[in-house]
Amino acid sequence: MGIQLLVTGLALGSMYGLVALGYHITWATSRTMNFSQGQAVMAGAVVAYGLHVALGWPFLLTLLGTLVASALFGVVIERLAVRPFFRSASLAWLLATIACGTIAENVAMLTFGKDARAFPSALATRPVLIAGAGVYPQELLVPVVGLALMGGVQFFYHRTFYGKQLKAVAYNPEAAGLMGIHIPRAVMTAYALSAALAGAAGLLLAPLLNVAPTMGTIIGLKAFAVAIIGGLDSAGGILIAGFLYGLIESFVAGYVSTGAREIVGFAVVIAMLVVRPWGLGGARPTRRV
Amino acid sequence: MTARLLWAVAAAVAASVPLVTANTYYLYLGMTVGIMVVITSGFNVLAGLSGQVSLGHAGLYAIGAYAAAILATRWHLALAAALPLSIALTAAIGALLALAALRVSGPYLAMVTIAFGIIVEHALIEWVGLTGGPGGIFNIPKPTLAGVALPLPRYYFVVAAAAALALWMTHNLMSSAWGRAFIAVKGSEIAAESLGLGTYGLRTAAFTISAAFAGAGGCLFSFLNGYVSPDSFTLQTSILFLLIVLFGGLGILAGPLVGALVLVLLPELLREFLDYRLIFYGGLLLGSIYFLPRGAVGAVQDLWRHPPRAAAAPSAGVPSAWAPAGAPAGFASRPAPGPGRPLLVVEDLWVAFGGIQAVADVDLTVAAGTVHSLIGPNGAGKTTLVNLVTGFSRPDRGRITFDGVSIIGLAPAVIARRGLARTFQTPQLFEELTVLENVMVGVAGHRLGSLAAALTGRGRAEAAALHREATALLQTAGLGDWADVPAGALPFGLRRRLEIGRALGAGATMLLLDEPAAGLVPTEIAELDALLGRLREAGLTILLIEHHIELVMAVSDRVTVLDEGRVIAEGRPEVVQRDPAVVEAYLGSA
Repeated sequence: MGIQLLVTGLALGSMYGLVALGYHITWATSRTMNFSQGQAVMAGAVVAYGLHVALGWPFLLTLLGTLVASALFGVVIERLAVRPFFRSASLAWLLATIACGTIAENVAMLTFGKDARAFPSALATRPVLIAGAGVYPQELLVPVVGLALMGGVQFFYHRTFYGKQLKAVAYNPEAAGLMGIHIPRAVMTAYALSAALAGAAGLLLAPLLNVAPTMGTIIGLKAFAVAIIGGLDSAGGILIAGFLYGLIESFVAGYVSTGAREIVGFAVVIAMLVVRPWGLGGARPTRRV
Repeated sequence: MTARLLWAVAAAVAASVPLVTANTYYLYLGMTVGIMVVITSGFNVLAGLSGQVSLGHAGLYAIGAYAAAILATRWHLALAAALPLSIALTAAIGALLALAALRVSGPYLAMVTIAFGIIVEHALIEWVGLTGGPGGIFNIPKPTLAGVALPLPRYYFVVAAAAALALWMTHNLMSSAWGRAFIAVKGSEIAAESLGLGTYGLRTAAFTISAAFAGAGGCLFSFLNGYVSPDSFTLQTSILFLLIVLFGGLGILAGPLVGALVLVLLPELLREFLDYRLIFYGGLLLGSIYFLPRGAVGAVQDLWRHPPRAAAAPSAGVPSAWAPAGAPAGFASRPAPGPGRPLLVVEDLWVAFGGIQAVADVDLTVAAGTVHSLIGPNGAGKTTLVNLVTGFSRPDRGRITFDGVSIIGLAPAVIARRGLARTFQTPQLFEELTVLENVMVGVAGHRLGSLAAALTGRGRAEAAALHREATALLQTAGLGDWADVPAGALPFGLRRRLEIGRALGAGATMLLLDEPAAGLVPTEIAELDALLGRLREAGLTILLIEHHIELVMAVSDRVTVLDEGRVIAEGRPEVVQRDPAVVEAYLGSA
């Protein structure tokens, strides 16, 4: 059982990390976050279902379509719920993104239907035996793709001109603005990228979980927990926190109960915020007066 | 007057519902509204007054509901016994949660509260022995009062009375020192601390109050429903509480009532559109944020009083001068420390931020009853020094004593209570409070009286004394005509006066003024000069950070010059002015 739990934990953990990286990207650029990130995961899964299962598109085209659709979702959220309240002291953006997520969930219920549907995948039908444990190939694929995507994001940020611009905005928005970087566009890009990562996670998770309009909320919350544990300002911390969270969850579910899984997971976040609010990878902030 | 009439009408309508109809469904809806009013009135204290957003109040509501259910089914307690116990338990858990959660704010606080809500929800499902698991607890006995059964129409009155009580208590709280302190913490945490308010304690208090109200609502819900199950206490429920307050009007007394009416009744009217319920909620939330910054009630109020705010401003556009001769009222009675003896002593102080040595090897002695100026080029470390002295930053090493006692490592509020007050480069006013209320926050400081008295509207004598003292201080500051204007509407030139008046109210024996003349016109600077002189005559000690050299030379007894974090000169103003090192620091070497 240990190996199965390990594989499941790593697979889920990599996806939590991927979605949490989305929180990090927008937080770094704009000090705001998409609290409907979970609904972006759901949107990715629903769109992937529509393209792959209903329309019969091949996998690569489905992936492309899903990424584009979820990036658009991010752009809409940014325009509708974040930009009007950008840099305002209140948490209006937080509530507005929740509102958008709620609406998105309802739209999915009306179009996709309320019931969960299985996402057929050749990689998640017949388990393969690894050291005597039955494991779906999809579960092995997920963390690999997840890590590759995270690597891609890091490459984009550190090695490309546009990525460096985003990094500059994160570091010092005023100076970046003076250097001619268009800040609203940078924020929009961050939201598109963030939601696209969530959408990719939705696509990857769909064969393992079921596709349902309500699937997003809990994934979004867990990813948020991961982002906090890892440190909102630290991509590396988030990566590690994602795997840790996935593993803790998987083993608690395996050896205690599935309900205890959520209790332990979220208790860890509270403990983390009490002891080390800036996260595993973050630095203690200095106070500004 | 209009407000009283509206409240009377609301009470009459609420009371007449069971007389008009015996329909169980209508009564049930009415009671649901009442329970929501109880919960969201508390939530309004948290979100509207103290400015904290919680997305986990369904968890507290659940604790109140399950506590009542367990007490009623296993211990056979009646409503009158179960209610206070449920409230106490929920408040205690709320306080514990707050102590952990309120170390963080903003989205981090949202995360803690969400996590708490999820933990409670899953604990209800998992802890089958206590909670009955997913099925919940059934067969909660019908409520009784003093042995008399309370069928629906009578229980309706109990719930309505609870809602009225909740509104009355929030009303009392809003006009109390506690309420003002909550709003102050929301408006500017650093300013509140600089007046001696313990912000962490205040936020915890607001959270605990909101938890107690949620517990009361939960208990009333259990007895109304007859059963409880985890389905009633999800994240959606927490968001509903928030939505009710936001739609009704954050920080407005009637907000929860209007919000609860609309959000409970409208979905019932729109039952055929059940499939669109989330769109309705999401749309309403988005619409409230976009178009109703002060909620539905606030929007109506603003239409009613037209023009909304300017009407309260004094008719004469010219600000009155600082009150003339004589010791300023309000603080003259405080014992002045023996003049001339060292009051604030800083020795061997060092601090670095990142790689920058902001303050290095600074010694500074401010004698009691003097005006001591701290000057230096931009970035010399002046404000950093003030932050170190007032506890907003911690030094890497060094000693700071005030009145002979070390104040290193003390919280800003504790230092402020010792009589060391400060102002800020950008005036930090509590914009939602009136000018008078700003000073009242300072005068009250951390002495807020008992919370129970604030909730029940007692302590009017203390309130009147507070009002008198604050009014006298406003006269001193020359802001008497502006007393009832929201501080947010105060012209720039007067904001600093208010900040100084407020600091005086807080009982300062020493004032640290961070560039008080910045942005003032010459006549205002002359008035400031006169005020500083009078404050010194009254026995106050002043550390003045200032760029305006004429002002510094005119009022100072001593001047210390900082450059690149180090003291480069110290002495009488006319001596310092000629010091070659000072000239070089300001003008560069010739």
